[in-house]
Amino acid sequence: MTWADLFNFVTGNASTIRRYSETHFILVLETVIVSLILWVPLGLLLSKSDKWAGRVMALANLIFCIPSLSLFAIFVTIPGLGLGRRSSLLALVLYAMMPLLRNVYDGVKNVDRSVIEAAKGMGMSEAGIIREIRFPLGLPVIFAGFRITVVMTTGMATIASFIGEQNLGRFITNGMVRNNTEMLVTGAVLISVIAVVLDTILGLLEKGLIPRGLRLRR
Amino acid sequence: MIELREVTKCYKGQTVPAIEKLSLCIDEGEICVLVGPSGCGKSTTLRLINRMIDLSSGTILINGEDILNKDPDQLRRGIGYVIQQIGLLPHRTIGENIAIVPRLYKWPKGKIKERVNQLLTIIGLDPDQTRNKYPSQLSGGQMQRVGVARAMAVDPPIMLMDEPFGAVDPLVRSHLQDEFLRLQEEIKKTIVFVTHDINEAIKMGDKIAIFNEGRLVQFGTPEQILTDPADDFVENFIGHDRVVRMLSLYRAEEAARKRVCVVRDNELAGLAGELREAGTGVAFIIDAGGGPLGYVTEEESTAVSGPERLKAVAAARRKAFVQANTPLPDALSILLEYDLDWLGVLQGKSLCGALSFKDIQRHVYRREGE
Repeated sequence: MTWADLFNFVTGNASTIRRYSETHFILVLETVIVSLILWVPLGLLLSKSDKWAGRVMALANLIFCIPSLSLFAIFVTIPGLGLGRRSSLLALVLYAMMPLLRNVYDGVKNVDRSVIEAAKGMGMSEAGIIREIRFPLGLPVIFAGFRITVVMTTGMATIASFIGEQNLGRFITNGMVRNNTEMLVTGAVLISVIAVVLDTILGLLEKGLIPRGLRLRR
Repeated sequence: MIELREVTKCYKGQTVPAIEKLSLCIDEGEICVLVGPSGCGKSTTLRLINRMIDLSSGTILINGEDILNKDPDQLRRGIGYVIQQIGLLPHRTIGENIAIVPRLYKWPKGKIKERVNQLLTIIGLDPDQTRNKYPSQLSGGQMQRVGVARAMAVDPPIMLMDEPFGAVDPLVRSHLQDEFLRLQEEIKKTIVFVTHDINEAIKMGDKIAIFNEGRLVQFGTPEQILTDPADDFVENFIGHDRVVRMLSLYRAEEAARKRVCVVRDNELAGLAGELREAGTGVAFIIDAGGGPLGYVTEEESTAVSGPERLKAVAAARRKAFVQANTPLPDALSILLEYDLDWLGVLQGKSLCGALSFKDIQRHVYRREGE
């Protein structure tokens, strides 16, 4: 393969590349949105019950242990899910459970006890404490989990191409099967670039999100 | 008024109750100090009052009303609460921290701002400089002050303080204690104050409740506790050198009497008459440059005749002066070492007070005298 071959492949398949990138990106976006909607509130809720937190964390752990390809394969066999978007979305959301839920829980749970004690002693309600203290103070940890989730999902979405997702993962699998190096490299590099760019953007966002008082030092 | 009746608290999974059948009455406008070794139940008692934990049996009444009849959050909002770790919200400014309870009460913005400025001024911090700072930008002592200000924000009649000055160094602590006592003179809150330090208890308390192993061993004024310990435990807990150790909390100027008679060394002729008129019992003699020379007592002023001999009596007591900020034990040491009856207390070069054994004694027991 030469640079010219690669260039020719990219220019010749511009519309496919755009389409695949789009579906890839949309799958990641959908997963992240659904995960945020599900796991952040659940993580906050679990901070109230150690018993349930233990149970749910164990479940998240279990799911995370299953190899992704196996999980995708299992979902394909379930009626109503089958090949395609539903199975891949569900699998990715379940994978995201571990890093996101765990970090939300750890973040809000590990806030300095004396701050909680003082707030409770001043008559702040449970909900108020979560909203005004636990969440903002846990935000750095929560956001770290969010970053991991986004990067992980971007990578794992490629595997969904095995169950019919028309995304950048396709370039890699097809490239390998057809012994097409240009195709393989295009897919691999684009996915990596997307992951790195997303992580960088989130890194910048993180700086702005962490409460000012936590960043200041005397 | 806070009244505890037969209060017992058993923690889950523990056979020995943390506190057992505790009855205690805390009068309005008083500082009641709960003191004892760790694990004696003093903090548990404090936390029962604002329902941070719930009691197992018994009744706690605040102004005659059972605390169990009130919503816990409502109850806590009406009671100031200060803890050793302070617990300032690190992501909120000092102003916002102080405004927490006023905000819970939904005060209008203008009123909150006014109150925050007022409180910062009361605790000796400049509102404009401090309001927008974050807790991490303050010193330990300043943070403790903010903690107290935050607890006072809505002017609650009752304040619960759990080792509020425990986390700062002894000098700052002593300063904060003095400041708080001065403040209490004005605000007259009903205060329950937990400490493990008997010196702090003696200094801060109108009443002291000594705890041991979940029981109240003795309850009374500091004088009662110091002069008549209920049992061996209390006696040991107080310590035998208690009064001497207490002295180190004070400085010469605090114990000194402010009315002094000062006479120039060239005006000694009319000394006896002047002393009789002043009624101070002692005159401090200064030289032409205003520098301190010594003192002459009223008896000496009549017994010794002639200005020159009086001056010699005074001049033999050149050591009888201390600076205003001299710790009381040092002043006492000088009194003993040079066999003096009086010390002149100096602010720079000028005399601002006089100190005798009697004054030190009175100062140490001043709370009991009240």
